[in-house]
Amino acid sequence: MTVQSLVDSRLLLITGKGGTGKSTLSAALGRHIANQDRSTIIVEVDSHRPSLTEMFGVQPTYEPVNVGRNLDICNVTWKEALTEWLERTVPVQRIVRLIMGNRIVQVFINATPGVRETVILSRIATLCEMYDTVVVDMPASGHAVSLVRVPHIALDLMASGPIRERSEQVIALFGEPTTNLVIVCLPEEMIVNETIELWTNLKEVQSSLRIPNIVLNRSVVPSMTDDERQLLERLNSKMGDDEAVRDLLLAGRWEAELESATATANERLSTELNADVIHISRLGALGGMQGGAKEVVRQFAAAIARKALVEVKS
Amino acid sequence: MNLSSLLENRDLLICVGSGGVGKTTTAAALALRAAQDGRKVLVLTIDPAKRLANSLGMKRFGNEETRIELEDAKGELWAMMLDNRRTFDDLIDRVSPNETTRDRVLGNRIYRIISGSISGSQDYMATEKLHDVALSKRYDLVVLDTPPVKNALDFLEAPGRLARFLDRRIMKWFLTPYDEKRVFGRLLMGTSAVVFRLLAYIFGRDFLADLSEFFMAFRDLYDGFRQRHEAVLQLFQDGRTAFVVVCAPTEPSVKVATYFLDELQTRKMPNPGVIVNQCHLVGEETSDGRAVLETEARSMSEDLGTNTVDRLLARLGAAHHRLIELSRTEMVFVDQIKDKIRSDQAVWPVPRLEHEVNDVASLKTLGQHLFHKTM
Repeated sequence: MTVQSLVDSRLLLITGKGGTGKSTLSAALGRHIANQDRSTIIVEVDSHRPSLTEMFGVQPTYEPVNVGRNLDICNVTWKEALTEWLERTVPVQRIVRLIMGNRIVQVFINATPGVRETVILSRIATLCEMYDTVVVDMPASGHAVSLVRVPHIALDLMASGPIRERSEQVIALFGEPTTNLVIVCLPEEMIVNETIELWTNLKEVQSSLRIPNIVLNRSVVPSMTDDERQLLERLNSKMGDDEAVRDLLLAGRWEAELESATATANERLSTELNADVIHISRLGALGGMQGGAKEVVRQFAAAIARKALVEVKS
Repeated sequence: MNLSSLLENRDLLICVGSGGVGKTTTAAALALRAAQDGRKVLVLTIDPAKRLANSLGMKRFGNEETRIELEDAKGELWAMMLDNRRTFDDLIDRVSPNETTRDRVLGNRIYRIISGSISGSQDYMATEKLHDVALSKRYDLVVLDTPPVKNALDFLEAPGRLARFLDRRIMKWFLTPYDEKRVFGRLLMGTSAVVFRLLAYIFGRDFLADLSEFFMAFRDLYDGFRQRHEAVLQLFQDGRTAFVVVCAPTEPSVKVATYFLDELQTRKMPNPGVIVNQCHLVGEETSDGRAVLETEARSMSEDLGTNTVDRLLARLGAAHHRLIELSRTEMVFVDQIKDKIRSDQAVWPVPRLEHEVNDVASLKTLGQHLFHKTM
């Protein structure tokens, strides 16, 4: 798996623990893919305060908004998705308006588990017919599992009807060879654990999902020699408490820790998930964001284009 | 207000904030400290990292309150991991007017799915369990680690959600045909006829039958839910409660934090301040430090490769420089929060620890930093 096969995807689902940088990655990958001459849309899922606004300087709406050559963004809000879904399903417009305006129906839909998720997924499936690549900034970990689970629950509950049919289509779409899952992870033990658990849960819900690509954000690929480590250790044990050099040594320990955490994360993700790990160095996408979100996405997309990513075959 | 007096003077602390900022460990460290100081404390967490849960000896299922053995504590520390389905089942049991209603709800297929796997129910159940333990008065202090929510508001709005679904007038309207024991689809007139026929077409008749049964069963639970909703809201606004916003010094996390500050104020929920975790706190570069380190390094590296000292020193310099840059950026975000808060609120910065917090010892270290100083 390389960055190129991500580019060739029809549907790219990006998820991960909150705070790992999945929205930034979605935006950057979307921008990069659009630059490869593929019509691309970046999708946020039912967000009250879309992070795409910050990253592109435009508020994404339900209807796609153009933000550059080949590149649109949108926010799939469930109410609009429901209207669209009803319009597809119920041929008479007047009845759709009647349904949407009916308070009883609204309560019914609010209270019925899975309706929101079903119509959102239906919209994503529709977008896949309209664009070469659809990049979905999925909800974080557990919420992503819930979203993927919904069409499966629909099959269990409904023997017939349009929801069942659409759910079957969505499940088939998730299993397509051109559908790829990306889980964004950080080189920290707890987040690696959660990433492994997330994949286990997703796989349990939908066994036809292909092994995910793991993007290890803010990774620090080891470059310290054994001798350097040895020396750092000696300095630490002798002068660790010395006020004048404390911060320098702290920075060194921090660096050594990041290097070994990156190596451990890479090892565990490759062996336990059998996944390909794509490293993004902290220089490409640190959470610091001095230049604002827009600038980070620009730099990050440029880094992907330069193939500045270190790709590690499992 | 400092954190220590918060632990002494409140009965309920609720940690809110975006995911990945150390809410769980913060909640656990606060609870541990209060227990050390002599209170009987329960920390209620949603989904702690496995290692932390294991080292504290928490049980994953059954809402079991587990006492955590501490050697040097004057009080007691208890921990519980929220079991979503179990909490939901208990709730149904409590609000059901009789056993028949309870069994009908618990046996309903749709109920089984909602209570198990649909997102959103977790926020609700957290407030539910909270209501339960806080009002039981079994603990001096309860510390809640809130679930990772999709939208910041989900948690604050959770208490009202189920009550709204169960709005009585709407229920009645919807259930009228069933009350009158009519067969679905027959004898319905006008708008309702069209609506019902459509819903039947869209969802399939079997599902609709399950769903109406679900609604019917829940109808009798409405009063119970409303009362509990009001009790939880009261608890949230109580003077003995405090919401502590937890964030990291990054743009997205600080955005969520300021959003919480606004919302808590609007809702009149007590909010003494913000804990900013994972700060890289370092001092400025000094040429002295480097010189001192170089002399020392040369004297202890005779057995090491030729360029080792130069390489390591360059590396340390660069790493230190990066840390300083990072900490400057972070301070901008901390300042944004300071500008935002009221004069009676505080910001508590906590340095990023060198090792992961996954046992009692590291929780104590985190606690030392938490109670170290106020900005």
